[in-house]
Amino acid sequence: MSIPVGHYQYDPIDRDFLQARIAEFEGQVQRRLDGTLSEDEFKPLRLMNGLYLQLHAYMLRVAIPYGILDSRQLRKLGEIARRYDRDYGHFTTRQNIQFNWIRLEDTPAILRELAEVDMHAIQTSGNCIRNVTADEYAGAAADELVDPRVHAEILRQWSTLHPEFTFLPRKFKIAISGSPNDRVAARFHDIGILARPGADGAPVFRIFVGGGLGRTPIIGEELFDSVREEHLLATLEAILRVYNARGRRDNIYKARIKILVQAIGVEAYREAVEAELAQMDLERYRLTPEAVAAIRSRFAVPQLEAPADADAVLAQQRRDDPLFDRWVRSNTHVHRDPGHIIATVSLKPAGGIPGDATSAQIARLADLADAYSFGEIRITHLQNVVLGHVRKDRLRDLWLGLSEVGLAEANIGLIGDIVACPGLDYCALANARSIPIAQKLGARFADTALQAEIGALRINISGCINACGHHHAGHIGLLGVDKRGEEFFQLTVGGRAENGAAIGTILGAALPEDETVDAIARLVDCYLGRRESGETFLDTLTRLGHEPFREAAYETV
Amino acid sequence: MKLFELGERTAQVHDVLVTLAELAERDDARAVLLESADDPALLKPYLNRLDLVVLRFPGFRDGRGFTQARELREYLRFSGEIRAEGHILPDQAAFLRRCGVDSVVLPKDGNGDPALWEKQLRQFPVAYQRSVLPERSVGPGLRVEEVS
Amino acid sequence: MKRPVRLEPGQKLVLTANRLLDGRTVWWCADGTWNLHIGCAALLDADEAEALLSRASEQAQRDGVVGVYDTAVQAVVPPEPVTVREKIRAHGPTVHPEFAVETEQ
Ligand code: HEM
Ligand code: SF4
Repeated sequence: MSIPVGHYQYDPIDRDFLQARIAEFEGQVQRRLDGTLSEDEFKPLRLMNGLYLQLHAYMLRVAIPYGILDSRQLRKLGEIARRYDRDYGHFTTRQNIQFNWIRLEDTPAILRELAEVDMHAIQTSGNCIRNVTADEYAGAAADELVDPRVHAEILRQWSTLHPEFTFLPRKFKIAISGSPNDRVAARFHDIGILARPGADGAPVFRIFVGGGLGRTPIIGEELFDSVREEHLLATLEAILRVYNARGRRDNIYKARIKILVQAIGVEAYREAVEAELAQMDLERYRLTPEAVAAIRSRFAVPQLEAPADADAVLAQQRRDDPLFDRWVRSNTHVHRDPGHIIATVSLKPAGGIPGDATSAQIARLADLADAYSFGEIRITHLQNVVLGHVRKDRLRDLWLGLSEVGLAEANIGLIGDIVACPGLDYCALANARSIPIAQKLGARFADTALQAEIGALRINISGCINACGHHHAGHIGLLGVDKRGEEFFQLTVGGRAENGAAIGTILGAALPEDETVDAIARLVDCYLGRRESGETFLDTLTRLGHEPFREAAYETV
Repeated sequence: MKLFELGERTAQVHDVLVTLAELAERDDARAVLLESADDPALLKPYLNRLDLVVLRFPGFRDGRGFTQARELREYLRFSGEIRAEGHILPDQAAFLRRCGVDSVVLPKDGNGDPALWEKQLRQFPVAYQRSVLPERSVGPGLRVEEVS
Repeated sequence: MKRPVRLEPGQKLVLTANRLLDGRTVWWCADGTWNLHIGCAALLDADEAEALLSRASEQAQRDGVVGVYDTAVQAVVPPEPVTVREKIRAHGPTVHPEFAVETEQ
């Protein structure tokens, strides 16, 4: 098979490594079954290979490094859903996929199947460096300065079974982007990296540390403004070394790097990192241009050729078909090539489960990716799917193909594009169910014309304070709480993950589940009634402050 | 106490093992025990006379010992023996070795089976990052293997 | 770890865990086996539950289960857990009624 577009192509050395990892895991399972490993010992080991125990079964989280798959890999995920699970998978905000009904016994066989297509579940959980995420429009967006994927791959490799950083105080998440428009929530990560071109052609990196959500939401602070490419790995090693040595281990709720950065201050953290760097043998850690070039050479570049009238064809089709036009308006993004366009496929059908896809839909997406986007698929941190390089004159055919499998919802960035964690329907840590309330909200705002009228508005739902649904970062956030066995939801407004990252403000006391949808509808009505022309929900909120929205939410009829 | 050697170096037995705090008083001590919260830099004045640094792992999930070992090797250029003891798993054998640990005190339960430790040391043909060991590249990119 | 058990009138305790091999939710039955159906679960008083819980925890490895604990149920047929969480464990995800445990083959 030819080199895939968009992600690193494995060679036999990488494949041997995956096989060794599977053999290791199989041995660990064996030792758990024969009792040599206790559950307390096995749990961290299985988590490091993405295997959780949830309410009803094991859950396997498969890594999709920087969110990019090829069609062969996506088909394999569909097959695994069919053979080992219950015919569906769940795409997550960390650009991974989760299977909810996995048997421990089957896991080594599943990992072997994944390895056939160069996939794995390494470090998708556990107190180690997790799957690295990147801009979902990488290599395609018109606004991009540096394609972050080569460096994302370098970070993936460097962090894989890192001898020193596999037993950290807590999990560690890194995101990287190369666009001035932050689409990775860089400042909500343990380390967020923004790449831009340097003077000598090699990129330089701006590095944020100590961001995170969870029970203590904190916006990351800038540690360094311009780290040179050759020092990228040394700098990360130094940041992690300080954290591994000094991060708290007495209380898991205070163990993230964000707590350490807050405790000592970002200046002291920077000094500590610089002290490490001063002692390190920088030559040993140097990321050489040759190594970067070698990894870059394993990425195929799509040959973007489009007929001269591609743009005109698309314009005509949009005029002829208002439904298609509405989808194009919400679900596409400008490509760097004028004959191409970026299409986002919504996994948020009205009333459906956010981020879930059936094996039939997964197989169809793989076919459509082959037909329309060089066989490349991207998973977004908002639980949708991107086809990155679609020829403009063929976009309508793609849309028709998506319609056949119920994947043509026109709601990206709108109120129906809800982010929700698995919540109490699956998750052992949950206080409340996230999915049913997402379904009710989706159904309430099902009308795509209404959604378009409401405009940019993101709802994020988490089933507990761990914030897997990023409720702090939602324009409207819902946090599930348990009040004496009943499900309640706390509302926040004004969060955002984009440029100008902000943590949402709590509006007031949590509402019972069955009053929450109405309260949100009143919030939206309040905005629609009081907005001035051209204002988004966030604009109106900023202008008016929270008070009118609080009143609307708690107004009882 | 059963020792397992992670590399070439032969593990030594010491009658006198002191804590970091005791080290200054005991001129005869050649071996010191570091708790996971101890800063290895404090060993600087004593490195010349030390043959052995024992790193104690209070639990296998407490990974501070890995950083301590690397600091000893990389920053302090300690060339004596480094040993890990406490709650450690054979699954960590290669990590320990790559951070500069030479030997371990085998756990007394099923995790102390030397065959498991042996196997884990040979589990992976390559690594994706540099360690404190002498290494050479394998193919293009970041991958390395140990020079034997 | 041990929380005080406060049972309301009409409530009993049952023991529950997950199966090691496939992770499925199971309930402890009077014959000493673990079953997928809460209908089989033995209904226990608080003091009896305590002894049985510690025994079941000790035997967990041999019985192939993990994370044994007790939870309150309404003593009806079949027993109905008190908390939303345990209701969902007993019946399956509410968003997939086709996976309901009681109607599974
Ligand atoms: C269902 C099984 C899951 C469990 C048991 C779980 C567990 C957790 C826990 C304990 C935390 C808090 C960690 C901390 O703050 O130290 C957390 C945070 C998080 N999880 Fe999950 N999670 C699950 C599923 C998911 C899913 C499905 C997603 C993606 C949709 C996700 C994405 C995240 C993110 C983005 C965070 C926030 C990271 C931060 O605090 O910076 N998790 N999760
Ligand atoms: S936010 Fe809470 S309920 Fe939701 S998946 Fe994370 S841990 Fe589970």
